[in-house]
Amino acid sequence: MKEELSVVGKRVPRWEAYDKAMGTAKYTVDIELPGMLIGKVLTSPHPHARIIQIDKSKAEKLPGVEAVITFEDIPKRLYTPNRHDLILYHPENECKDMYVISEKARFVGDRVAAVAAVDGVTAQRALELIEVKYEVLPALLDPIKAVEPGAPRIHDFAPNNISLHLNFPGSRGDMRKGFQEADSVIEETFRTSKQLVSQLEPCACVASFGSDGRLTIWSPGQSAFLQRRKLAEIFDMPEGMIRWITPHVGGSFGKYGSLSVEPVCAALAKKTGKPVKIEYSREEDFSRTETRQTYIATGKIGVKKDGTITALQEKLIVDGGAYFSRNSTTTMANMGGFTGLYRCPNAAAEADCVYTNILTTGGVRGYGNSEAMCVLEQLVDKAAKEIGMDPIELRLRNIKKAGDPDNKGLPMETCSLEALIKLGAERIGWEKKRAEKKENGTKMRGIGMAIMMDLSGAHPSCIQHRNAYIKLNEDGSANLTVMAYDMGQNLSGACAQIAAEILGIRYEDIHIVNGDTDSTMFDTGIGASAGLYQVGHAVMNAAQEARSQLLDRAGKRLGVRADELEAKNRRVYIKSDPQRGISIGEVTKEATYNFKGEHLNISGKGSFSPTQSPPPFAAVFAEVEVDIETAEVKLSKILYVNDSGRPINPATVEGQVEGGIAQSVGYCLTENCVINRESGVLESDNFTTYKIPSTLDMPETEIILYEEPVASGPFGAKAAGHGVTIAVNPAIANAIYDAVGVFITDMPATPEKMFEALRRRQAAI
Amino acid sequence: MKKEIANFKINGRPYEVIVTSNMTLYDLLRELHLTGTKRSCGVGQCGSCTVLVDGNPTLACSTLAIAARDKEILTIEGLAKGAQLHPLQQAFVDAGAIQCGFCTPGMIMMAKAFLDENPKPTRKEVSEGLGGNLCRCTGYVKIVDAVLAAAGAMIKGGNP
Repeated sequence: MKEELSVVGKRVPRWEAYDKAMGTAKYTVDIELPGMLIGKVLTSPHPHARIIQIDKSKAEKLPGVEAVITFEDIPKRLYTPNRHDLILYHPENECKDMYVISEKARFVGDRVAAVAAVDGVTAQRALELIEVKYEVLPALLDPIKAVEPGAPRIHDFAPNNISLHLNFPGSRGDMRKGFQEADSVIEETFRTSKQLVSQLEPCACVASFGSDGRLTIWSPGQSAFLQRRKLAEIFDMPEGMIRWITPHVGGSFGKYGSLSVEPVCAALAKKTGKPVKIEYSREEDFSRTETRQTYIATGKIGVKKDGTITALQEKLIVDGGAYFSRNSTTTMANMGGFTGLYRCPNAAAEADCVYTNILTTGGVRGYGNSEAMCVLEQLVDKAAKEIGMDPIELRLRNIKKAGDPDNKGLPMETCSLEALIKLGAERIGWEKKRAEKKENGTKMRGIGMAIMMDLSGAHPSCIQHRNAYIKLNEDGSANLTVMAYDMGQNLSGACAQIAAEILGIRYEDIHIVNGDTDSTMFDTGIGASAGLYQVGHAVMNAAQEARSQLLDRAGKRLGVRADELEAKNRRVYIKSDPQRGISIGEVTKEATYNFKGEHLNISGKGSFSPTQSPPPFAAVFAEVEVDIETAEVKLSKILYVNDSGRPINPATVEGQVEGGIAQSVGYCLTENCVINRESGVLESDNFTTYKIPSTLDMPETEIILYEEPVASGPFGAKAAGHGVTIAVNPAIANAIYDAVGVFITDMPATPEKMFEALRRRQAAI
Repeated sequence: MKKEIANFKINGRPYEVIVTSNMTLYDLLRELHLTGTKRSCGVGQCGSCTVLVDGNPTLACSTLAIAARDKEILTIEGLAKGAQLHPLQQAFVDAGAIQCGFCTPGMIMMAKAFLDENPKPTRKEVSEGLGGNLCRCTGYVKIVDAVLAAAGAMIKGGNP
């Protein structure tokens, strides 16, 4: 029986939307402090070079310049910007390979020096006065060349520039036997695209030391406590001496799970004794901060004529760029996704993570699994064609069911894949459209689909530790203090809905305190869609404790036991006699101002550590029209059938899906990261050369929210935001394959690449 | 650098400011602590910094402050009447058209200029009208929903 809910499941406006609509919401770029200096960073123009000499004397003499720092002025402590080394159960796969400012440049955009001055113009002028002598080294701009014997080392400790070799621990079965049993074996090599995150607020940070020596950081960080610990280690400070504030964030998408300019900003603030702000321009943001990895992925699938997948194998070369950062966890997610989606008894994956002199990479929305599904879901369609079976039929014969292991090997509470596929196929008219004539003049129509399973946070690979605190005010409203961040994902709003539901008050009665390590309790950072499932659960636990105090107190007033009471509509009343009750505001006021001395500030603290990570599922359908003359792909429709459990706020889940579709449309079709193969310079460093979708690039979209609640989630909810970039790209690719028989092995499918692929196909016929 | 005193009327309030010849309208707004206007690309490619100058949508990052001298500038901070949100602001809140919110001020200002010209648009016209304003979070569906809802509300209640 579905319980009666007042706030959960409702499309309430997000709590911070008014500030954003009014222009009063403060982002990191909006932070202004008295006496604040502007910091700027000098970066290497060479992809690989040793710094022989830096002369900063001219820059230092420029009036208005307060500090010029180089590798000589920063703590000699290696770190990794990625947070995972602090929480992974197997941290041996992580690698500290970065200094705040480098002595050796490893990509065009690597930090060489930094300046703080009274204004931006002076700081920029000072950068130009720093004289750097480089010894230019041979640059490795291709991961295949980087691992060749005799290639120069990018990092001294990594022979052959292999930072890590990973054999996927979840590999199973007998690969030789699996491929022998197959009637058809298909192998293809893919190159996935190096997507630039393109969050609209360019990378920024403000750092300020107080007179007590405490450092305050304002940054878009999405792992405040872990990032604080990293800074503490770099600068040899106790964690408590650092306060990290994450204001509203103008988009993160995983990027700010890593440190970016915070250490250099803090180094400038330390040197000058004044607040310093660094704000990157768009070009700087694009050419200096973390992107997706490029995977050169060789995927192999074996299928029987009856559609049984007998073997799945993946070999990866991961171009991680100049620093290791998130290579290990993204690659593990890739291999987990590739081997985990289908029931296939024989599955194996291995990877070489490789250093190159290319723009550094990190963990971007849907990481690993997005790239894995580009490969796997296209292979499945090709296999279906080989054996003459409908690709949906092939999927239905191999998908997992509830109780089967998920991508991480944990048994699944639910698995809605079959239902999602059938629902979507029916809705879009799959059978009819697949059978339809495809030609329309020079335009070829196609329809394709893909599926995915993802996760609700990083359990069981990482420590996931969540906390929340709720106190009731005298008027019966409440403050919810929780590290929920605001990156646009509306986690705080959803948490408020959960708290309001449990406390029996209105959504607008919850006032949120968020994003400050001084006021919120510890949290391991948002990522992999951990937010609602995990943080929401801590909020639920906190709210239940506060509710139990509330009912106890009300019970004393009403002369009944707490378990006879219900809290709803801002009243506590007797369940068997709802007319008898008392307003929550009256209970809290009496408890706060108690003239008998029986004071109580009704409150609750909740924690959560997951034992599961229920996967959200999706079946995505795409319709395209490919013009064989111009090679242009027109995406006409996306149907996204989504299972995020029970949505706490359906509008938020839809918004996550719609945004994920847009990012995937860019990833698949328009966003082409171009790095000059000789100079190593990022050429697509603005929104004209790197084209994220606008309204005009978007297809008609339809979303179906299929609700299958999970018992372990708060009110049955699981993840929504991370996984929505995973299945759209392969669905579009499969639609292109259906339209023109061209396999998208080099992404994105720009007209240039499509033209070449069509030409090759024509030649082969 | 040439400096001069210039007058502006921003959100109905007169300002007398010393401007340098290379100062952009975006810089000027920041100097006056009007931080609602956002800069994302800095070169006029994304629409985030859209404000209205004498009613015309203008990219503040690529417009010299001096070019807006003696003109009426409307920014996101000037759209609401006290606590009363503009119908576009209300519609963006209600439709869930805001996620990270960084594109929102520019998007709303552009939508205002668009609806002033075309008060009864179709869905396609709204899409085209907002084609120069980038958003990375929403996929635009709810933004277009919001503009259409605001158009309806403005016809009912009068364009404020």
